[in-house]
Amino acid sequence: MSVIAPKFRLGYFLKAIFDNAFWILTLVTLAGIPAIQIALFFMPLPVIDGELLTAFLAFTWLFNPAMQIPLIKTLLYSDLFRIAAFPGFGFAALIAAGTIFVERKMLAKLQLRVGPFYCGKIEGILQLAGDGLKLISKEIIIPAKADKPLFWAAPVLFVGTAAAFVALIPVAPGGWVVADLDVGLLAVFAVIGFFPIITILSAWSANSKFPFIGGIRALHQMVSFEIPLILSLLGVVILTGTLNLSEIVESQSNFPWIIFMPIGAIVFFTTMLAELERIPFDLPEAESEIVAGWLTEFSGMMYGLVQLGSYLKLYAFAALFVIIFLGGWTGPVFWPPLDTELITEGVPIPNYVGDPILTVATPGLPLFDKDPNEWVLQEQGELVYTSGQLLISGVIWFVLKTVGVIFFILLPRGVFPRIRLDMLLHIGWYKLIGLAFVNIFIALGLVYAGVIGPGGIL
Amino acid sequence: MTEQVIPTKQMPPGLQVENIDDRIMTLNVGPQHPGSGHMRIIVKIDGDYIVDADPDPGYVHRGEEKMAESRNYITNIPHLERPVIHDSCNILYPYVLGVEDLVGIEVPERAKYVRVITAELNRCIYIQYWLAIYGIFLGHSTMFMWPAGDRELLIDLMEKITGARVTHAYFIPGGVRNDVPANFEDVCLRQVNYFEKRIKEYADIFYDNPILKARTEDTGVLSKEDAIRLGTTGSVLRASGVDYDIRVKEPYDVYDELDVHTNVLKAGDSYARSKIPWLDMLESCNIIRQALEKMPKSGSIRTKLKPNPKGGDDEVYRRVESGRGAAGCHIISKSKPEPYRLKLSVGSFRNLIALPYLLKGEKLGNMPAVYWSLNYWPVEADR
Amino acid sequence: MGTATGIIKALNSGIKHLAVKRFTLRYPEQKLKFVGDGYQFDPASGVAIAGLKGRHMLFHDHCTGCQLCSIACEGVAEAIAMVKVPDTWGQNKKAIMPQIDYGKCVFCGLCVDACPFYALYMSNDYELSSFTKEGLIYTPAQLQVKPQVQQDSELIIDKRGARHG
Repeated sequence: MSVIAPKFRLGYFLKAIFDNAFWILTLVTLAGIPAIQIALFFMPLPVIDGELLTAFLAFTWLFNPAMQIPLIKTLLYSDLFRIAAFPGFGFAALIAAGTIFVERKMLAKLQLRVGPFYCGKIEGILQLAGDGLKLISKEIIIPAKADKPLFWAAPVLFVGTAAAFVALIPVAPGGWVVADLDVGLLAVFAVIGFFPIITILSAWSANSKFPFIGGIRALHQMVSFEIPLILSLLGVVILTGTLNLSEIVESQSNFPWIIFMPIGAIVFFTTMLAELERIPFDLPEAESEIVAGWLTEFSGMMYGLVQLGSYLKLYAFAALFVIIFLGGWTGPVFWPPLDTELITEGVPIPNYVGDPILTVATPGLPLFDKDPNEWVLQEQGELVYTSGQLLISGVIWFVLKTVGVIFFILLPRGVFPRIRLDMLLHIGWYKLIGLAFVNIFIALGLVYAGVIGPGGIL
Repeated sequence: MTEQVIPTKQMPPGLQVENIDDRIMTLNVGPQHPGSGHMRIIVKIDGDYIVDADPDPGYVHRGEEKMAESRNYITNIPHLERPVIHDSCNILYPYVLGVEDLVGIEVPERAKYVRVITAELNRCIYIQYWLAIYGIFLGHSTMFMWPAGDRELLIDLMEKITGARVTHAYFIPGGVRNDVPANFEDVCLRQVNYFEKRIKEYADIFYDNPILKARTEDTGVLSKEDAIRLGTTGSVLRASGVDYDIRVKEPYDVYDELDVHTNVLKAGDSYARSKIPWLDMLESCNIIRQALEKMPKSGSIRTKLKPNPKGGDDEVYRRVESGRGAAGCHIISKSKPEPYRLKLSVGSFRNLIALPYLLKGEKLGNMPAVYWSLNYWPVEADR
Repeated sequence: MGTATGIIKALNSGIKHLAVKRFTLRYPEQKLKFVGDGYQFDPASGVAIAGLKGRHMLFHDHCTGCQLCSIACEGVAEAIAMVKVPDTWGQNKKAIMPQIDYGKCVFCGLCVDACPFYALYMSNDYELSSFTKEGLIYTPAQLQVKPQVQQDSELIIDKRGARHG
């Protein structure tokens, strides 16, 4: 915002308001309403208590205290919630935003300075929102000789692939994953294989020297580190015998795999840093040599989308590390069971002097339990933990472990300089593949010795 | 142009340069580039190897030597410190020594010690800034923030003495302009001791970092004979095994009474050239402590000049060791208040000669490391 | 193995520094303290007194309108022009005093060195920005005002590091 404002003309102002109103109305009626009708046609409507839940019925039930909880629970367990909010995009974007904030403040503390502190009352919490608004308000400049369809599509493809990666990660016990595939790990490898293609396409379509060099370097880097990535994870697959990510976590209920596969964990960590283009492997965006590498020509919100995709990828890789090596959501369950009086008698609401005058009975309060009667079974001693307890405590363990891994991903940024291309290729093709094979031999030895695996001691 | 004067190095085996127009791409590491400073390097690359490098300085040329001819000897002082604004004492030093020779005045003892202290402080300030940019060229953001922050300790000292954080305009022919403030020795000693503790921490995170060593060792190797033949100076010379420091070989002011140890490394690669200034900084802290002890506790700090000082029909050349290398000043005067001709000979421009010689056959990834390790300051080289 | 120990030592050094206090001065909530009142010159001894070279301060009861400050600045920045002032002083028959343009001044202090009548000093004020170029030209009346400089923090060096507090 400049201090010198352009001259204000009432006519232009009214014209701007009218234009905005016109376009909003047009888009909503011509595009929004048909979209909603098409979506409603394909969405399966749930059945609660024998009644088909149409939109009108849902709004009526929202004000009936007896039916609120089942209504919200059906929404919680629907596909849309899974994709958009909980283990999918919303959750990942929240962790990505937290990662960006923590990265800037932690690096600042390490470098003895403050980092963002002005935007937002507490130590710069709203800085990311400020940056987002700034990026949206900037003009998107496309180079004249660029390949326009590919150039426009590149950031969107990047975010889409990163979101596809996020969709494969199980977060909590009970099937909380967007896409529950039996060959989950293989699908992860397939999605990771898309990233070099998108990078080289966006670099090539910009038609300029610096993105060209950056794109070639990114291609070298990502392709040469994919093989150690796949090999280092195969050790765990040999030990568990399954490719399903949820089952890999279930198999770690007694001990995490990092105890037996430390070399695999180190190799995977290094290849993870290389795939994410974090320092010390941030050659493709080497600022002092090739301006900004393959991101040079992106401006405005395209750059914002690429950064969003990058941090989503960071969360997904850290979550993958936690799932495969650190035991996912396993850990002692510490969330206490819900008070039975709350469920049977209801919640007492006091008036302003403190005497309870109203009791709100909400049958089926357990919001996160899959089956509403699980608390009965827990009372009778047949069930140890309800699924709601497992869910909340599992999510908290998962988030704690992921945050720990993200801390260790962010730390090398303050400590190491950038690595050079030939050193990178040497490491990727010689040393890491060797270490990954050593890891696989250890895993095979453990299985054949009968220590772990089907029919083993542990 | 450069091919006639500088012989080419041996290309790495297997690198055949054929079909020159087809494979070679010209890259303009220009002034608008985060890795170039105020200078342009036209680099011709074949894949990842640099075939030819042509430095193109001159973007910051102001004609300072010509402007100096229209200012008298006193008003030249804020003018001539502008090439390197934070190392201003070391740039003014040869000029001030030259004018004192021309006019013929003696400098009091306490003023000489204060000059030495501020010159060493300025050397550390400049080297920290250079080290910060070296870190960021290699992608090490912590190495950018730590020197820039620790340099504040010394800039604070300079502000207490001279009143300005940069462009001090502190030296004057005949001494210095003002005395140090009261209880300055304690404050200076405390901050210099803490500064020395801080720069020793750089060893763990930067100089012993295996990635940095793998990146800069054996790149841009300048042998001892080539260093002398190409006319390099300062830290570049000492990193190639030549034991030459003007403070020791041609001492000026009170450097002959202080114990100055010259740091020499034999490797001659970028790693040695990046390590020598750091060792020089540790040496400077020692010199400052010695000078603070030996300084006479009272005395005048300025010999009064006659108004409108002018030299006779004379010329003089003095040189000192600045942060970049030998900085010299050649003054021709013809009995007027203004100098007839004033030439500043700076270390940065001398070291630039080695750049095309060193970059031939290097990988593109090594270019920022080699370029900035030549202790090059673009503003000073262009004057 | 040397590589591995080098990497671990570097990471260790990084983690250690998470406990060191931050060095930043949070301007404008904190402002640095100065010792003394600003850069001054004593023409009797020919030596100046150390202080911050900030905005100038003109003492109207000492200035005689000799123009030496303006002449000294001519070779440096040409920032001082002599203007007529309405007040009459005994020592200033021509009634002219210096007017300083801070758009051109480089704060070198040679004008203070040139004044032989203890009339021109420099003070501690450094916040001189303005929205217009004309606002940067300080008339002799404006130069007479002693600035109120807010100073509250200084450099502290203790066990946990150096910081501005």
